Amino acid sequence: MAANMKAVKLRIKSVQSTMQITKAMQLVAASKLRKAKEKADLSKPYLEVLRKTLTDIACENTEFHSPYTRADDNDKWLYIVIAGDRGLAGGYNANLFKFMESETRGRDISVLPIGKKSVEYFKQRKVPIFTEDYAEVAKITISECFEIGRRICEAYRNGQYGHIYLCYTNFVSMLTQTPEASSMLPLSDFEENAPDTEQEEKGKARELILYEPDSETVFDTIVPEYLAGLLYSGINVSVASELAARRTAMEAATDNAEEMIETLSLYYNRARQASITQEITEIVAGAEEP
Amino acid sequence: MATFHLQVVSMDGLIYEGSVQKIMLRTIDGDVAILARHTNYCTAIGMGTAHILLEDNSEKTAACIGGMLSVMDGECRVIPTTWEWSDAIDVERAKAAKKKAEQRLADEKLSEQARINAEAKLRRALVRLGTAQK
Repeated sequence: MAANMKAVKLRIKSVQSTMQITKAMQLVAASKLRKAKEKADLSKPYLEVLRKTLTDIACENTEFHSPYTRADDNDKWLYIVIAGDRGLAGGYNANLFKFMESETRGRDISVLPIGKKSVEYFKQRKVPIFTEDYAEVAKITISECFEIGRRICEAYRNGQYGHIYLCYTNFVSMLTQTPEASSMLPLSDFEENAPDTEQEEKGKARELILYEPDSETVFDTIVPEYLAGLLYSGINVSVASELAARRTAMEAATDNAEEMIETLSLYYNRARQASITQEITEIVAGAEEP
Repeated sequence: MATFHLQVVSMDGLIYEGSVQKIMLRTIDGDVAILARHTNYCTAIGMGTAHILLEDNSEKTAACIGGMLSVMDGECRVIPTTWEWSDAIDVERAKAAKKKAEQRLADEKLSEQARINAEAKLRRALVRLGTAQK
């Protein structure tokens, strides 16, 4: 009995120290989350307006001189996948990769992984990787987003890829984060994403857009910047999602640890009581003997 | 004067939304002014000072660099890379940035990429200073 008690005590101690860690991680994630959410909220209108404007342009576009606007038969897909740097964030990374799997089935894809987990995953799967220079999602700055934008544009213009997609985790609420993929290039891909109402109106004559100085110059200037913008806001939203997922996961872990400690200490107390009772019985039995 | 709906959105969030009479800014092809009932239009923004004439005839200016301007069905959307209202510009910082960029450019052995970066920094600083002094 005494040996059993010792084992239980040890177990309680170990669960306690694990709980301390998960509790600390939960608090850290919660405090970081507040800042990350502010940042994500700020870049949300940018993302929405940018996407809406480009969808409008794609729907009404009649200019197909620029390589960025025209859909060609190049069937190579580049996915930019934003995942986390670290684990212990519940299903955050796993959900994203599962989603990627179903999204890209049957396509000839390459990836540009952002985040250490993303790099590891695609290396293991032997998926061709565009570049590994941006492994740490936490360290990416705006100017690096511009650099990525420029590099992607260059690869796209050289015909290395026919479609470019961004795969990230959208921050729906504190408790829900869903992986999503959105098209980046060519702009004609936006037409498919347009809401139904706009699709219905397609019968009517397209309104002409005036480009100054001409569509090609405009798109050549806008596209790298808009890629950077999409990427930057995608990263902000993903970071917020990661922290929210980690906070929820760590909260659950802490709750579980508390429950375990409760059960274990109940068991320990019972065992202690039993051993005391036994001792008393033995003493009493010994005293009555002579 | 007739007004139209303007939205200015940058990576720092929604900067301005409301009815205005006129917006004037520098595109890659020179200065343009957008008035109400403009035709559908799309262009890329260069580097310069943007002027917005509000409904009550007051004018606001800002340093506006990069991004795009689009007019769709009478709605004007400006999506700049950076947008700083003239009263929010840190003149001292812009001056310091200008000086630093000039010093860097004076260095003969500067690499191509570093020179491009320094030139871009200098230009941005000049736009900020120009906007703040108006």
